[in-house]
Amino acid sequence: MKILLIGSGGREHAIAKLIKRSLLKPRIFVAMDYKNPGLEREAIETGGSYYIVKTTEPQSILKVAESVSPDLVVVGPEEPQFHGVTDILIEKGFTVFGASKRCAEIEKSKVFARMLMWKYGIEGRLYFKAFRDISEARNFIEFAGDVVIKPARQAGGKGVKVIKDTQAYLSRDRQEVKKTYVEKLFTEMKHYRDIDYKILVEQRVEGVEYTSMAITDGDTILPLPLVQDHPHAFEFDIGPETGGMGSIQGPGWTLPFITYNEFSKTMEIVEKVLKALQLEVKDRYIGAFAGQMMLTGIWGPTVIEFYSRFGDPEISNLVPIVVSDFLEVLDKAASRRLAGAKLEIDEDSVTIVKAVVPAGYPDDRVFASNHPIAINELKIKELGCEALYASIEMKSDGVMYTKGSRAFEIVCVGKDYEDTYKRSEQAVSYISSLDGHPLFYRRDIGSKDLLNDRVRIAEKVRVVYRSRAERGFLGKIIVWVPGEGVFENPLIGFKR
Amino acid sequence: MGSLLTIYAFDELWNLVNIIKYGFQAIQHRGSQFYILCTAKDGIKCYEDETLEVSRYALDHVAIAATYSEKNGEKWCISDGNGVGIAVIVDRAWKKLPEFASDLVKGIREGKNLEKVFKSVLANFVFDESDPIPSIQIITNSREVIVWRTSYGLTPLILGSYGFDMAIVSSESTAVDILGGDIKRFIEAGEGIHISRHLAKTFSTSTSKKCSMCLFELLYIARHDAIVDGISVYMFRKMLGEKLAEHLDNDIDVVVGVPETALPYAIGFSHKIRKPFELAFVATGGRRRSMLLSDPFEKIVAIHLKMNPIKSVLEGKKVALVDDSMVTGATMKTVAQILRFRIGVKELHIFVASPPLTSKCPFDIVNLDTKTLLAANLSTDLAKGYLEADSLHWLSREDVNNVAKKFHLKLCSKCFGIDFLGD
Repeated sequence: MKILLIGSGGREHAIAKLIKRSLLKPRIFVAMDYKNPGLEREAIETGGSYYIVKTTEPQSILKVAESVSPDLVVVGPEEPQFHGVTDILIEKGFTVFGASKRCAEIEKSKVFARMLMWKYGIEGRLYFKAFRDISEARNFIEFAGDVVIKPARQAGGKGVKVIKDTQAYLSRDRQEVKKTYVEKLFTEMKHYRDIDYKILVEQRVEGVEYTSMAITDGDTILPLPLVQDHPHAFEFDIGPETGGMGSIQGPGWTLPFITYNEFSKTMEIVEKVLKALQLEVKDRYIGAFAGQMMLTGIWGPTVIEFYSRFGDPEISNLVPIVVSDFLEVLDKAASRRLAGAKLEIDEDSVTIVKAVVPAGYPDDRVFASNHPIAINELKIKELGCEALYASIEMKSDGVMYTKGSRAFEIVCVGKDYEDTYKRSEQAVSYISSLDGHPLFYRRDIGSKDLLNDRVRIAEKVRVVYRSRAERGFLGKIIVWVPGEGVFENPLIGFKR
Repeated sequence: MGSLLTIYAFDELWNLVNIIKYGFQAIQHRGSQFYILCTAKDGIKCYEDETLEVSRYALDHVAIAATYSEKNGEKWCISDGNGVGIAVIVDRAWKKLPEFASDLVKGIREGKNLEKVFKSVLANFVFDESDPIPSIQIITNSREVIVWRTSYGLTPLILGSYGFDMAIVSSESTAVDILGGDIKRFIEAGEGIHISRHLAKTFSTSTSKKCSMCLFELLYIARHDAIVDGISVYMFRKMLGEKLAEHLDNDIDVVVGVPETALPYAIGFSHKIRKPFELAFVATGGRRRSMLLSDPFEKIVAIHLKMNPIKSVLEGKKVALVDDSMVTGATMKTVAQILRFRIGVKELHIFVASPPLTSKCPFDIVNLDTKTLLAANLSTDLAKGYLEADSLHWLSREDVNNVAKKFHLKLCSKCFGIDFLGD
């Protein structure tokens, strides 16, 4: 079976590894933006090949597809979806696993996603306000309180500003930062011509984050096990937001700090959203779908945002534990035969993924780019772990260079967190910088301490949302401004 | 004694003027006689003042700062030359500071990584027990920061964060709370954190065999709402109060605590004996730590302002009065006078929630002069007479030992005449 995989990073390498072992004898062809040596290897080993091509250009991808004539196309990242790659391939009669342009709107437009949840009354929704022009945003932010400021369009996982503003004595400083940030973000978002709203301001929530992924053919939804990502750049959850410094999963379908009920509730939200989305855009959703969730005191399972694809690095956790024929599942989804399909996983294992990144990531990509880097994969395999190649390019001198984002993702699997953690710590040491440029990763991911911390926070949040649920108060916030009236708007601040 | 505060905002949009100001407010119970602040905006600059208004100079997104209980500006130094600038702030007087700082500058000038330089310089100082090394904060002119907890572990150090935007390091968890942050790690003895524009990472260095936390930190210095090395200060104090109640051998009507720092002990005491705990005194003019004041007149002024009694609670009653720690006994003497003569209590039983203080603190965490320590100079009978008390009880070292063990703490107890309590 010939598969054309579109995309260049760690997520696509994980997908390649998952489908490679299929009994359908896959030959993997890869269309990627740069020569990712991991993807190159999977292609060659399966008797396929690779194409270096701009993956966001539908016409270029179409040409590749026409020359490969694959039985199945898998569109990995969101940007090709936003640019209509899926649509043109379907139009030309290819079988495609990946959201169409209209369906991918759920990831591309944060405003659309929020409006959809409100329109259909789906649980786990947050209050928000979206802005097309700067002056309106300026006026609003003057009186905004405890909020998150987001670009209205998916912009490579960047640009979110979370400003906890619950203390009046520091609110003026936070106000200043919010105001300056709104100006900055508007300037940055100006060049995106494909969106109407530029930024949104959203209710800030606290709790424990987790990712819920699923595969769907538009009718049937096959959930994947929950995974937890770690967005802070540095250890102990300190430092700027990244695309994810690593993730943990297992044992089984849920996580040690998420109950089975919370998992079910999350899937209920995902199902409602997928149904509403298809109704709204009048298109069938075929592909991967993910909810970046947070267990909060306001709602319990709460939606932070949606992805029209597999999470990265979250999909990497599944590489060692998927027992079913993953390619068969993707193929069934793409050909709308998912009903009755099952996804079996190794429910006794846990997985830990750690990203190894060059210093400079995430805020100074230039500083983080073009550094030679080496990996001893044999040693990593000896530890029972696997290396996924992400933002890394093989150049003509035969040396691998960083491209400014996460270079490698190391996936380890084991019976418990303690043992798996130990091996993952060893495994990351087999990646080295060749020019002395510092590399870093997070030692704390998968550690007992951090896990206990999550359990503790989840427990605290659980007490709050359960008590709110009993009082019929889930999702509700009442604000009374004396002399002005009662509002259901948690976005307003101390200053009137 | 001093307390440290470092703020590193990862986003340059922040300026720290108010953040340092409120951070200072959250730790000034540890000393408010002197304030220091250093930033690396346009080169290293340090500012000092007798009030926290020095925070107005924190016009940058990175700053190191400290408060002190003595008016002593010698605890910092700047070295500058050949483009290398650093400021070092420590939490205790340390004679070797100038030498340490100039060694650091030498290493940095050779172009070495700051963390490596710090570790190699540190190795030459860390085991000198004649002049124990304090906790250290460093800022360089390229806005790199190192904060390191003394290898003796005497005073705590907490790493916190404010969302994706800030790392906060402080001698007490209260600063993290007040700045809206979350506590992320209790830095261990000999552990440090290195923060630069591109990286934030903890590192460890070897610790002294004699390392342990100062018992006074938990007994008196930290606020009730602080978490010290994972331990709730309030719960620790309450449990000591329960222990203290085991020394009671009279019938009493009411339990009161004095000063405000003694309240958790009194509450624990009252729970244990099932007698009412009452508020007995109201302070005037805000909270001042009389014990951390070195001027005796200032001290007595602070005590007198704390002590306006609620007469109806105490008149004609048999009172158990719980104090947090008796140093000179001056506070207790004042209180006893008020209770006896202004109120007319029937009986006065004094309970001190610490073992007798008998020795000087070799680390100068608290300024104790052996000549002025009540327990070191007066017999219990004499002390009872001086304090006009019907009985006078102290926690035994064994009591503290047992409670410390329950919390898995090993505590420096040199001022109580023993090296360590707990395990």
